Amino acid sequence: MKLFGRKEKATGEILAGGENAIANKEVEGLSQGQIVRRRFFRHRAAVIALVALSSIILFVLTSLDTKIGPIRIPGWWKWTVEDIPELRFEDCPGGTTGCPTLSLNPTGDFGMGNHPFGQDDIGRDYFALVMNGARRSLMIMFVIGAVSGFIGVVVGSISGFYGKRVDAVLMRLVDFIQTVPTIIIAAVIGKAAGRVGPFFLALFLGILGWTGLARLVRAQFLSLREMEFVDAARVAGASNIRIAFKHILPNAVGQIIVSVTLIMAGAILTETALSYLGFGVVAPDVSLGLLISQYESSFTTRPWLFWWPGFFIISIALCVNFIGDGLRDAFDPRQRRRITKKDRLQAKLQIKAGE
Amino acid sequence: MVEKNVLEITDFNVDFWVDGVWYPAVIDMNLGLAAGKVTAIVGESGSGKSTTALGLMSLLASNARMQGSVVVKGEEMLNAKSSRLREFRGKEVAYIFQEPMTALNPLFTIGYQIVETLRNHFEMGPKEAHARALELITMVDIPNPEQSILKYPHQLSGGQRQRAMIAQALACDPALLVADEPTTALDVTVQAEILDLMRGLKDKLNSAILLITHDMGVVADMADEILVMKDGITVEKGTADQIFNKPQHPYTQQLLGSVPKLGSSKKRELPYKESAKPAPVLKLTDVTIEYPKRGRQPAFTAVKNFSLEIYPGEIVGLVGESGSGKTTVGRASIGLLPVKAGSIEIVGKEIAGADSKQLSAIRRHTGIVFQDPASSLNPRLPIGESIGEPLFLAGLAKGAELAHKVEELLDQVELPRSYRNRYPHELSGGQRQRVGIARALALTPDLLIADEPTSALDVSVQARFLELLQELQGKLNFACLFISHDLAVVDILSHRIAVMQNGLLVEVGDRDQILKNPQNDYTKRLISAVPVPDPKEQKIRREARLALKK
Amino acid sequence: MLNYILRRIGVSIMILFGSSFLVYNLAAYASDPLAELRLSTDDGARQQIIALTRDLQLDVPPPIRYFLWLKGVLGLFVGNLNLGMTREASSVQEELAYAIPVTIRLVLVATITALLLGLALGIISALRQYSRFDYGMTFLAFLLYSLPIFWVAVLLKEFMAIQFNNFLSEPNIPIKWMFIFSIFTGIFWSSLFGGERKRFWSVFAGAFATNFVILWAIDLTNWYLNPGLGPILIAFLSIGIAFGVTAISTGLSNSTAKKAALTMAGLAVVWYYPAQWIFNNFGSYLTILIMISLIVLTGIGLSRVFSKIDHGPIARTAIITGLMSGILILVDRIMQSWAEYSATDAVNGRPVPTYGQRKDQLVTTDFWINNLDIIMHLILPTLALILISLAGWIRYSRGALLEVLNQDYIRTARAKGLNERVVITRHAFRNMMLPLSSLFVGEFVGLVGGAVITERVFGWQGMGTLGIKAINSYDLNLLMGVNLLLSILVISGNLIADLVYSALDPRIRLGK
Repeated sequence: MKLFGRKEKATGEILAGGENAIANKEVEGLSQGQIVRRRFFRHRAAVIALVALSSIILFVLTSLDTKIGPIRIPGWWKWTVEDIPELRFEDCPGGTTGCPTLSLNPTGDFGMGNHPFGQDDIGRDYFALVMNGARRSLMIMFVIGAVSGFIGVVVGSISGFYGKRVDAVLMRLVDFIQTVPTIIIAAVIGKAAGRVGPFFLALFLGILGWTGLARLVRAQFLSLREMEFVDAARVAGASNIRIAFKHILPNAVGQIIVSVTLIMAGAILTETALSYLGFGVVAPDVSLGLLISQYESSFTTRPWLFWWPGFFIISIALCVNFIGDGLRDAFDPRQRRRITKKDRLQAKLQIKAGE
Repeated sequence: MVEKNVLEITDFNVDFWVDGVWYPAVIDMNLGLAAGKVTAIVGESGSGKSTTALGLMSLLASNARMQGSVVVKGEEMLNAKSSRLREFRGKEVAYIFQEPMTALNPLFTIGYQIVETLRNHFEMGPKEAHARALELITMVDIPNPEQSILKYPHQLSGGQRQRAMIAQALACDPALLVADEPTTALDVTVQAEILDLMRGLKDKLNSAILLITHDMGVVADMADEILVMKDGITVEKGTADQIFNKPQHPYTQQLLGSVPKLGSSKKRELPYKESAKPAPVLKLTDVTIEYPKRGRQPAFTAVKNFSLEIYPGEIVGLVGESGSGKTTVGRASIGLLPVKAGSIEIVGKEIAGADSKQLSAIRRHTGIVFQDPASSLNPRLPIGESIGEPLFLAGLAKGAELAHKVEELLDQVELPRSYRNRYPHELSGGQRQRVGIARALALTPDLLIADEPTSALDVSVQARFLELLQELQGKLNFACLFISHDLAVVDILSHRIAVMQNGLLVEVGDRDQILKNPQNDYTKRLISAVPVPDPKEQKIRREARLALKK
Repeated sequence: MLNYILRRIGVSIMILFGSSFLVYNLAAYASDPLAELRLSTDDGARQQIIALTRDLQLDVPPPIRYFLWLKGVLGLFVGNLNLGMTREASSVQEELAYAIPVTIRLVLVATITALLLGLALGIISALRQYSRFDYGMTFLAFLLYSLPIFWVAVLLKEFMAIQFNNFLSEPNIPIKWMFIFSIFTGIFWSSLFGGERKRFWSVFAGAFATNFVILWAIDLTNWYLNPGLGPILIAFLSIGIAFGVTAISTGLSNSTAKKAALTMAGLAVVWYYPAQWIFNNFGSYLTILIMISLIVLTGIGLSRVFSKIDHGPIARTAIITGLMSGILILVDRIMQSWAEYSATDAVNGRPVPTYGQRKDQLVTTDFWINNLDIIMHLILPTLALILISLAGWIRYSRGALLEVLNQDYIRTARAKGLNERVVITRHAFRNMMLPLSSLFVGEFVGLVGGAVITERVFGWQGMGTLGIKAINSYDLNLLMGVNLLLSILVISGNLIADLVYSALDPRIRLGK
């Protein structure tokens, strides 16, 4: 229910002078969303990470063919995972084969070349393989984030909102799931998932990964439930559902988003680790962890087979982590403008100038 | 000047560096304070009084800049070496902070924290320091010193914690005691005792006290000289007599004018005849409310056998100290807490045991204004939606009609109509409480429950708020249960007063009868503990109270 | 309190039953131990199917079979624990008994090192909030958060083991690497201690030069072929330690503590030669234990001699100084065995191992060589685990300290005239440990998960390898054994964390 149109620019006076003015200057005339956005964009690393992650996703999604049911959207990259082009022999160091053609030398043969990331031992284009693996990993990451996020929010809200017996039962369930060693159960399922495919693996990892979020949402609900505006809504005649969705959840959403990002960053590492152990995505399917596991032994002779999948895992995880950090800063109500060294230096210069 | 001042502040300025701009917090302050004297810095929130206190010993955050001069016992403190500053902190200049629960380290016993101060400044063995700490704890009248010295802050009551804080501050016989709102977090009766203690110790040790407070009553009780601050500027300075009796600056006059003074308001007629009472709007009969057992915390009876009736058009003040159960009564009266025994009727309908449907029907006759302006409005909803929510949910208005009603309500509480699109964080505390009233009055209730609506507000804002509330009550003629710890505020508003202690109703009656001729001992103590913003009268009251105690 | 603990243990056991039941059935239904054999048309395969079905009671449906397994587990209470047989008909207990100490050695060393290092870095980071060092640490933490442990482990194996061994066969540090390494060291120290531009560069230059000279000296003397610290270096380092420990423990202004610490450092140096003789003739854990107790006793003695009133802090300073100097002497002794170890047939000039937890071919009774072997095998996997869990501790301790530093009681402590050292080490540190104590378990468990992967990369025969084997061969009893141990670890860890929390916090300990 949005009763009234967008808010107008504030015209009223700021609270006069003193400490209040300092506290309010930042947020004057902005809605909550605008404040969050502004704070996020002040976090330089997070913005860079956001740009980088978007580019990676775009790159990964468009480079290969995408099949949605019967529709097939062609990608811009020339090779696919199934193609087995001839192995490149020329110009490779130490008599190896299939070395990368990517060149960043602006005066020489700058560009991606035929096989920018090289070729694997039978000649498959490694760029196509890595892109395919990254696509799997991203998909798994988002599915885990969505599933864990959904279950965590639902269980946490119910637990925190109703409290008492419902809370006790649900929290024992959380304890219970936390006691089951994730790595073992995931490996058992992963081993079986070799038969059912990566989507179900992701689904299952999501089902295991929500406990931390549920605790967090519960804690948020417990503290927000005691807020006076919730009582006010209750007196105004709001139903439980309305109180939960209209009054409490929007105030907890910041923490939830942050937590889900961190779950996602962890998810990509879990998936790759499982695939590395052979319990995640299994051949002939491709995943970044699996690629590293397959070519681990050829590290000394053909290191690109090891570097590129690693680079993508780290880049994706790093970006998600930094975005999470930016969001945390943006949503943190205690967040004030940081006083950085630069600020202090400027201040000092001003003092000197004033003297 | 015969005696040299302990503290001499000249042209003192403090600025904060925020977002590339210096924000002045204290501007050109001058102050001199002699041993054995009390100077009070008075002002509303944001006036820079606490900043001054912390700035004296360079305890401010790193984005603060201080200029001018602060001389303590003949030594310049601004730009002093940090090692020299540390020698002065605690030994020559000791601090007492507002909230003793958070100002004492929760992981150490109070004895340890006092011993630590002593051993930091004197060559002293552990045994010797312990003996001295025991002496200090005895001096500040904490019961059972031998056992108390081994207690952690959470095991003491609020008053005892503040006493421990004072003991720690006095450990090294400081020349200057800086008391930053030392009694704000305490109940009036405890406040009176702490102020007595401070006054006695000051005379005994001949310390100077710099008292930072917003409470004119406390100032009148303690101060020799007063400095009034607004927005960092010292607007007026003078002796207590000058400031209270011949204030020059309009702000000082306005400030003193806004302070509610106990026993000064006019006689007020009840809106009904004692002989022919109308049907009560709210009727509580033998109400008992219990907080259930939680984990290892046992069940707690907050209110016991409480009975009270409120009739149409009257304001009943419900007074008590923290933990007396007054807020519990207020919340139970509107069905926010379950009742263990007894009955609560609103306009003749029983709410104890009502189901949620009946409850929401009954609640249409009521409204509630909460205590904390920071949490009483949903930060994610525009003001207009918060105000309109009761109307919307009651199905009374929708769309344009609702917008129109919200505008009317904003007019009523004297806020600009454009505010309906603003978010709570853009409003000041006083404005938020007005929004709270607007929301409470949206359904034109028969009963308004106001739960300490002014306790978080500055006096001048409070005065305007109270005026508005009275005006609205006169116009709309609703009954009101006004819950407060502040007798002076209740005095201004109410027709009748009920006094609670430890969950029990100790006395109820006509306002003038309660304030002028209280029957119950507790009521008497409560009334005598309230400081009055007038030094002369307060002195008389204080002596009367001390006589009563003996 | 006891009541509370007992109730917690009771609830934990119930959860343990539930979770093991769930895992048992999940694993039993998700995998078929006979799948491969069924595909085989071989006659022997049919025999095997029959034998396995009989031995592992595969004809019993899993929910019921669980209770048969449970009966064996409950045998623990009558002194007759039976976790069943593996597929190879060996006892699960025996397999676990062999694997547990291996994994514990790995995880414990990594946890403790990561905790100490992470706390130190996090605290410094928080104290220098928004400085270069802080930004550097934040970035490092995020980078480490994002590293897959198997990837790190493989890298370590390649560069720290294979290439380092190659380097040792022809030891010669190229000048280029000396430069690069020294520049990094310079940046580290200058961002830690640097302030204004001038100071930044002088610290940088100092650190750069020191590091460069050290590297040069190492290169010239071929130190890495025959390493050791020697009495002179130990003397210098011990004096440095004495000052450093005093500065943190009591502050350098406390001359009594300084005297005690320096005396202790002096004693350690004097003790160097007798220690060599003792180490050579009586090298054993008992000797080390006796020396530790000697240091503690000496520390207490020194505090009595030097101080009349304050024994505690003085003794603490002296003991920590003594222990750290003692570690130096110990490290020196172990280093002395390097050349001999390196020359053994089993090692054959490639002292950094890439595989296994011990060199099986190494046959010696020499206490020091054996320990050097253990340490060399431990280094890389431990390093991988430390890198992974370091990030968490840096972030947590930084956040916790910043939170605490905003509290009113810190302001009170400053207003009392306490110096920053006392404010941080006494008032802030204990409060900041409260939230950290509950995180410890989660981190530890995470590390066990990391250990599974590390074990695989470095070929350790621990719990992780056992678990992987169990899953790959559909060995249910073995899997349940590993699962049971991990669950018990989590549950007891949680319990311990709660107890530590209440021990630290009087509000919980004494009730509200």
